[in-house]
Amino acid sequence: MSDETLPDLDPVIHAQARLRVISALSKLNTEDRIAFPRLQEILRMTAGNLSVHLRKLEEAGYVEVTKTHHGRTPATLIHLTRRGRRAFEDYVTALRTLITPPEEP
Amino acid sequence: MTSTEDDQSFEDPAEALRLIEAEQANLERELTPDPRLMFWPWGVTWLIGSMLFFLRFGPDGRILVDMPGWLPSAVFVTLIAAAGATSAVVGTRSSRQVSGPTARQGTMYGFAWSAGFAGMSIVFARLSAVVPELYIGILWGGGMVALVGAIFMAGAAIFNDTNMFTLGAWISGVNVIGVLAGPGWHALIISIAGGGGLLVAGLIGWLRLR
Repeated sequence: MSDETLPDLDPVIHAQARLRVISALSKLNTEDRIAFPRLQEILRMTAGNLSVHLRKLEEAGYVEVTKTHHGRTPATLIHLTRRGRRAFEDYVTALRTLITPPEEP
Repeated sequence: MTSTEDDQSFEDPAEALRLIEAEQANLERELTPDPRLMFWPWGVTWLIGSMLFFLRFGPDGRILVDMPGWLPSAVFVTLIAAAGATSAVVGTRSSRQVSGPTARQGTMYGFAWSAGFAGMSIVFARLSAVVPELYIGILWGGGMVALVGAIFMAGAAIFNDTNMFTLGAWISGVNVIGVLAGPGWHALIISIAGGGGLLVAGLIGWLRLR
């Protein structure tokens, strides 16, 4: 396919692993946070791999990673930001447009 | 370091959409307590527990199966404790390591169940001394089942779960019919229609999630 086929797709999201991460996070309720090990288990990704992609999403401002403590155990909580949610919605809209282009000129 | 395979993008937008849907469904499945484990233990509890009450304390005070009078309550209480423990464990497991409003909602909903049952038990225990023996079953059974129906409907509103709402409405409806039908009949109706409703709700919930 030529390059002009996918003109508007956000490169941060348009990569298999990150798309999986952001899709899963999008299904959490807006203000909910999920701990790193649980997300890793649900996505069936290695810790290293998930970290790498979370960092990229964090750099783009799509994901917020918070370090906290549950009692004495440190915990890393992940949350899709408002910006990330909007970017994901735009990405899905763009995908749909690519599949069925709008009929108006 | 990024593995090249994971950084791959796709040529086909439809494939990306399929991946999105699959991951969203997978997360939902992981975070939702298995409806079979949430509803079936209660269905079995009602089916067996309430049936024993019907057989021992039948319509017009008839004894259909001769067994000690304490046996139905003992079995019922044991089954309720087991079902309650299962719900608590399964519910807590599914929301583990997730924090925020949804987890809080779940905790508060759990407390509503406990507070409702504790409050009703105290009222009914005080009344049991003065209510004619024939109507003890209607008092406890009718009151508790009304509470269950209402809390299921409220839970449906909290979790936006129409399956749960239908269950709550069904339970509330058959409970009224049972109470009107009278002592003994109430236990039979709750056993079959109530317990059966719980089993069906567990099955439908599971089929929808799969």
